[in-house]
Amino acid sequence: MSPDELKKRYEPKPTGKDLAYERQLWQARYSPCGRFLIACGYDATIQRWDVSGEEPKLLSPLTGHNGWVQCMAFAPQTGKLFTADSWGQVACWPYADESPQPVWRLPEAHDGWIRALAVSPDGQHVATSGNDQAIRIWNAADGKLHKEWKAPERLFSLCFHPDGKSLVSGDLKGLVRQWDVTEGKSVRELDASLLYQLDRIQECGGARHLAFDAEGKLLACAGQKKPGGGFATGTPCVLVFDWESGKLVREMPMGGEQDGFAYDAQFHPAGFVMCASCAFPGKGHVWFWKPDQEQAFYTSTKLPNGRTLSLHPDGRRLALLTSQAANGNGRQLKDGKYDGGSAKVQMLEFAADVG
Amino acid sequence: MNDAHLCRPWEHRLSRRRLLGTMAAGAMGAGALGGLLEPAIAEELAAGEKQVVFVWLDGGISQLESWDPKPNTEHGGPFRDIATSVPGIRFCELLEHSAKVAHHLAVVRSVHTQDNSHSAGVARINRGDPKNRGVVYPYLGSAVAKLLGPTSAKLPPYVWVKPYSGGFKADDAGFLGAKYGALALGDAKPPENLILNESVTPEENEARNDLRKFFNRRYASQRRPDWTDANSHVYDVAHKLMERMDLFDESQVPERDRERYGTHDLGRHMLMARRLIEAGVRFVKVNSYHWDSHGDNFNASQSLIPQFDKPFAALIEDLHDRGMLDNVLVIAMSEFGRTPKINSHVGRDHWPEAWSVAMAGAGLKRGLTVGKTNELGTFVDSQEYDVGHLFHTWFKALGVPPEKMEYDNNGQPLPVAHDDCWPIEEVLA
Repeated sequence: MSPDELKKRYEPKPTGKDLAYERQLWQARYSPCGRFLIACGYDATIQRWDVSGEEPKLLSPLTGHNGWVQCMAFAPQTGKLFTADSWGQVACWPYADESPQPVWRLPEAHDGWIRALAVSPDGQHVATSGNDQAIRIWNAADGKLHKEWKAPERLFSLCFHPDGKSLVSGDLKGLVRQWDVTEGKSVRELDASLLYQLDRIQECGGARHLAFDAEGKLLACAGQKKPGGGFATGTPCVLVFDWESGKLVREMPMGGEQDGFAYDAQFHPAGFVMCASCAFPGKGHVWFWKPDQEQAFYTSTKLPNGRTLSLHPDGRRLALLTSQAANGNGRQLKDGKYDGGSAKVQMLEFAADVG
Repeated sequence: MNDAHLCRPWEHRLSRRRLLGTMAAGAMGAGALGGLLEPAIAEELAAGEKQVVFVWLDGGISQLESWDPKPNTEHGGPFRDIATSVPGIRFCELLEHSAKVAHHLAVVRSVHTQDNSHSAGVARINRGDPKNRGVVYPYLGSAVAKLLGPTSAKLPPYVWVKPYSGGFKADDAGFLGAKYGALALGDAKPPENLILNESVTPEENEARNDLRKFFNRRYASQRRPDWTDANSHVYDVAHKLMERMDLFDESQVPERDRERYGTHDLGRHMLMARRLIEAGVRFVKVNSYHWDSHGDNFNASQSLIPQFDKPFAALIEDLHDRGMLDNVLVIAMSEFGRTPKINSHVGRDHWPEAWSVAMAGAGLKRGLTVGKTNELGTFVDSQEYDVGHLFHTWFKALGVPPEKMEYDNNGQPLPVAHDDCWPIEEVLA
């Protein structure tokens, strides 16, 4: 399909049924069953919306985490949700229950901020890592430690290869490392160091997000090209690697050098990568790019502050999580109150014959 | 011999003409260097040998990721708080080492200042934000250099250890005149040309110096004395510093100290600060730039704050172990804190409303926090203290009673700190 044809077919349209939440969020993902949109973020709760009806309905939250909950992943086979927080806790939830209680929780799974969590393709294991550089593999059923080893650098991202044999990590220095899950050994390294920079005294950037395509042939790595300190400016960028050869097949920058991070990259079943960036408040793009094409076929600046994109199992609906927190120095009161920012999930959809 | 040559050892980035221009601007028409109304007190102070290490984190360290954490609250961010060596006082987990020396620290958590921009805030805070009297007040280092002078070691009274280039920084002195500016050691290195060229014998150097003095006297006879005073001053302190070239010999630094302070800029510079204080420098400022985390604040904090934390704790430990902490005032601060609100770029912006300053030594009480912010960390929930209060506190800790000490700016009496502020008695022993 040509870029024009792709754009005509896959340009998402707003549904006008956006979801608002009073606090900022890190992720919003549709559940594998399609009934829920589940989100986690700055208030240590897991929020659930039932999106099966005409109007989304906010359900009771999952509580018990601390700090930020930045990581979550589903096990479709078992109907479980795994979450991790910045104080080191990992939990397993029957997320579809009316008032879910954790199946298990590990308050001290890690020492501090858990940055990454991934569920194995067979749903049997959960991998976690973070600031303590430990990679730990847990039995999904009971939370018992299955295996652990140490990474040489602080990790930001994890994902399993669809074959289940390899775990892939992305670190602060932009190194993408393939691990043999059975042995806990590094197998090879892919170079995404374009996403890292030591800017004067500050280590900036990193491989912030990883995602495979369904067949495991391509790996997307999201972050910021030539990241800088202070304002954290750089070009939002997604790198796509050919998994077999380990070679970079496409650099997908979007926006200016003074923008921000690409926080999410997800492969659409049609083979293109859906990317979202959050630059300075009010800036950032959503862009779709087919790795074998020179340019993005769809770019929108009307969907700024994007954190995550999630495709509904029906293939038609697309949820874009955005942050709503203007920047500004000094005392800024809104109706006499200090506004700490909020989140909005923009509910989009593709054309009727897509999906 | 031309003017530029006269200035070269200290003014290697500034021509003599520029230096004198700076001095003139600093005087702001007052026409004379500031003097002390009560010189006897100044002598008394000098004998006290109080010293200062002033750590300036330029751009603004987040109070929430350092001295005043609010974990599990709306603006608290991802980090945990940790216990310190003082029961009941908790710091952010990024201050792992400082937490262990908290029993030596006094942290004011209720700092409320007036500027939310760097351009105005940096100078305003450094000058103590006094009432406007039509003069440019000195930075704290210059003020201390004036009020206390050099210690008995006779080394330059105000040394600034900073990244990048060095030189003589006259702007800090304000109306006091360039003489009270900072000798800046770029990257903790000695000033250019400080080391005598091997081809010049000590006798030749002495003869050369006599010739310089001769020309200086002739030059000075045609100019206002305060202008030429500064020029002579930098030569005098250069001579004194030449006697302490060992300070710049890193091979004399034990490996253990290098490890404890860290090999990054801030670690090396804070170690140099300790060595300068040990050598008898009155006031040492250590600067670190790039703390302005408008974006990705939490990763920035994780990268930056440990670079401060470890050497800061080592410095406190070392001063204590050497029995020097009773006489050395240590201050760590920025021009403001950072917004409680986390913007969409995951950054924190500028926040003068409610932030923290950490201090230790020189007779301050140890192991306490003063003031508090509300539960969300948005505003001060106790007596607010401005930088004028801090200046009063520091001067008092250094033995400078503000009610007895004021500058004489060519007949214009000027208080050393804001008239409407007062010392923070809670931290004064």
